[in-house]
Amino acid sequence: MKSIFSSSGAAPFDEAYASTEDIRALYQQAFRYFDVLGIDGVESLQHSADLSMLNQGVTFTVYSDARGTEKIFPFDLMPRIITAADWNVVEAGVVQRMQALNLFLEDVYHEQKILKDGIVPTAQVMMSSLFCREMSGLNPPGGIHVHIGGIDLIRNASGDFHVLEDNLRVPSGVSYVIENRWVMGRVQSKLLNQYKVRPVDHYPQMLFNSLISLSNRDNPNVAVLTPGIFNSAYFEHSFLANQMGAELVEGQDLLVDRDVVYMKTTKGLQRVDVIYLRIDTDFLDPLAFRPDSMLGVPGIMNAYRAGNVVLANAPGNGVADDKALYAYTPEIIRYYLNQEPILPIIPTYLGSREADLRFMLGNLAELVVKPTDASGGYGILVGSHATKKELADFRVALAANPDHYIAQPIQQLSTHPTWVEQDGNKGFFPRHVDLRPYAVCDVNGDVKVLPGGLTRVALRQGSLVVNSSQGGGSKDTWVLYPNASEVTHA
Amino acid sequence: MLSRIARNIYELGQQIERAENIARILDVNRRMSLEQGYFSELDVWSPMLAITRSREAFDTVYDEVTEQNVMAFLIADTEHPYSIRFCLNEAREMARTVRERISEEMWLYLNRMYHDIQLPGKTDRHDAFLIDIRQFCSAFHGLVDNTMSHGESWNFLRLGVGLERAQMTTRILEIKYHLLLPSADEIGKPLDYHQWQALLRSVSGYEAYRRQYRARIDPAMVLRLLNLDPRFPRSVHFSIKQVSRALKSIGTVNKTQYMLLRETEYFLNDLRGGAALEQMQTMGLKDYLESVQERCDRIAEMIDLSFFNSVTVTLTDANRNLISVQIPQQQQV
Repeated sequence: MKSIFSSSGAAPFDEAYASTEDIRALYQQAFRYFDVLGIDGVESLQHSADLSMLNQGVTFTVYSDARGTEKIFPFDLMPRIITAADWNVVEAGVVQRMQALNLFLEDVYHEQKILKDGIVPTAQVMMSSLFCREMSGLNPPGGIHVHIGGIDLIRNASGDFHVLEDNLRVPSGVSYVIENRWVMGRVQSKLLNQYKVRPVDHYPQMLFNSLISLSNRDNPNVAVLTPGIFNSAYFEHSFLANQMGAELVEGQDLLVDRDVVYMKTTKGLQRVDVIYLRIDTDFLDPLAFRPDSMLGVPGIMNAYRAGNVVLANAPGNGVADDKALYAYTPEIIRYYLNQEPILPIIPTYLGSREADLRFMLGNLAELVVKPTDASGGYGILVGSHATKKELADFRVALAANPDHYIAQPIQQLSTHPTWVEQDGNKGFFPRHVDLRPYAVCDVNGDVKVLPGGLTRVALRQGSLVVNSSQGGGSKDTWVLYPNASEVTHA
Repeated sequence: MLSRIARNIYELGQQIERAENIARILDVNRRMSLEQGYFSELDVWSPMLAITRSREAFDTVYDEVTEQNVMAFLIADTEHPYSIRFCLNEAREMARTVRERISEEMWLYLNRMYHDIQLPGKTDRHDAFLIDIRQFCSAFHGLVDNTMSHGESWNFLRLGVGLERAQMTTRILEIKYHLLLPSADEIGKPLDYHQWQALLRSVSGYEAYRRQYRARIDPAMVLRLLNLDPRFPRSVHFSIKQVSRALKSIGTVNKTQYMLLRETEYFLNDLRGGAALEQMQTMGLKDYLESVQERCDRIAEMIDLSFFNSVTVTLTDANRNLISVQIPQQQQV
């Protein structure tokens, strides 16, 4: 029987192949399962999975499209499997980062010891457009600023997980983690049962527990604040509110009366105690931030400051997940926790440092250059994939505004078998993947990491950009129980 | 419940009901135009535009009133509020905003239908499409009643359905005065008879009528069935009874809500007792239907004011007493 798998084009580290010939023991069952299905079998499963996503309305909106068309987030049938041993490292590393960055945020909005001690340059924090003056001196419950975090990880040629970036403002995608597993359970429960996979569907409960811990009122009312149905992540907002039994509100549903936030209901006003923010801080309160915002709630920051409502995540977290601050995160971990970072970061050159800038300008073709203030994969230059003209143009932009860029050596992201067409054949071919685990933090600073996460995959051959807005797809991520027959990546 | 959510659920019910009734209206016409061979000068398509309040919008898109154009407009136009496609798109949009309030089955069914009608050519086969829509809407109501908890959300949905149905049933009855007979001599003749029968069938009322009033089709009895019958589910009386029940289940906590309930009860009383019958006889059909529509409009306005578009806030008056004041919510931008 001819295999529907091919290792052609695999990165130096592939999740499923130990070498071009050798399938890792961990993946052998999965390979057998799909080989038995054959091309037609996989195609038909893929079709029913896609249809199920579309019917469920598990879609996101593409902005560049004039009509705001809904698309499903392409879902790949081949799961990404992670051993308990590998996961332990990820989990401990994510907890460590969340704790350190929470301490960092509480510090920069209060005493700023880390700046006074010269660990992080004062300008890096205070000159950042993401520093939120309104948060200065404000005391969120427990001193916790990051209640929900998503940490993007990659595996490079070494096979070790590295941190690519932190998402401490509105990390999205967790609904796909849960939906992917549901779809998996529906279309290929057989394979799922062959592995001992840790469940992920208790995430809403984790989130809810963390949110209600933030309020000192009995039976606090929790609301999820969404910009509305036209937001690309609306499905997720609705999903999480639904799963938590919380109210999904828009700015127009809330009003602030004498520093208390209320929802407008058919029976009058009802108090809101905890708000899970899914809108950008800029739009949150026209009195405090952008005055032209129609999405926000006038006066909500005053209510927050008065301690009558809790906002999660706290506004102003951007200063800690800034792409330039990322370079300082190992130092931040050492400074607050007196520990060595568990997850390494990727060497990062800052445009704001003169020596780094010179290096960036001279070696643009070997670097990935990112603007510090954009997300979603927009405005990124991958040096090796750029044309001469693009490089020249970028060099001008970089020189004109060096503070806005950082650069990193191009990483050989690990690859994973993915159902695509390559050279005219349908089959499982290696494609680059990353991993975003999700963590929640309660009022006591206790961080819990969901055993799973979003594995994003770049569906185009050779592409390193995995963002959904740039043609990426996702995979179900299986974290195995410790007692599952284990093979380490030796 | 959030006012916005309540409004969206109400509109979800309204849009589904409207889509179904447009399909029913187009169906009356299809049935009536079967007889058109004898009376080719009879314009049966302009009345469709009149009762769906579509003439002006139609004229901006089409030059000529033909079967093809009117059908295409009322079925597939994407902007006109009285096109079936528009109603279903709206309904699905509303459902998306209230997904956590409706059942999974309702959402799946509506979302599938939505994706289905976006397929090219889907709305081209008018007859088949109209049948599909009627079946879809009926099945949707079945899901509403059987898979959704009969709580506040369900009652707001029922409120939207009931009020829209009362209005649309009177619109369907309007057909008879828009669709003029070739001459007064035709009253009571086969063509007239045929039209009443087509009308009854389009509201699924033919069997109900026959069982109650036997084979002879008497216009007065048809009007009585579709307006005053307390048991026929598409009659005005039945629909307003649903509105009243929904309002009572939702409950009243302030004055405007109480005024709304009172207005509805007065209306229901008129339909239940002899007042409506008397009006129907003295006012004539056209004026009577207009008065029913006005009452429905007033109830719709009051629903908007008492549930969706005002909040009560506490203020201190000159003597430092706390008083409750009802203020309109900010206008949506």
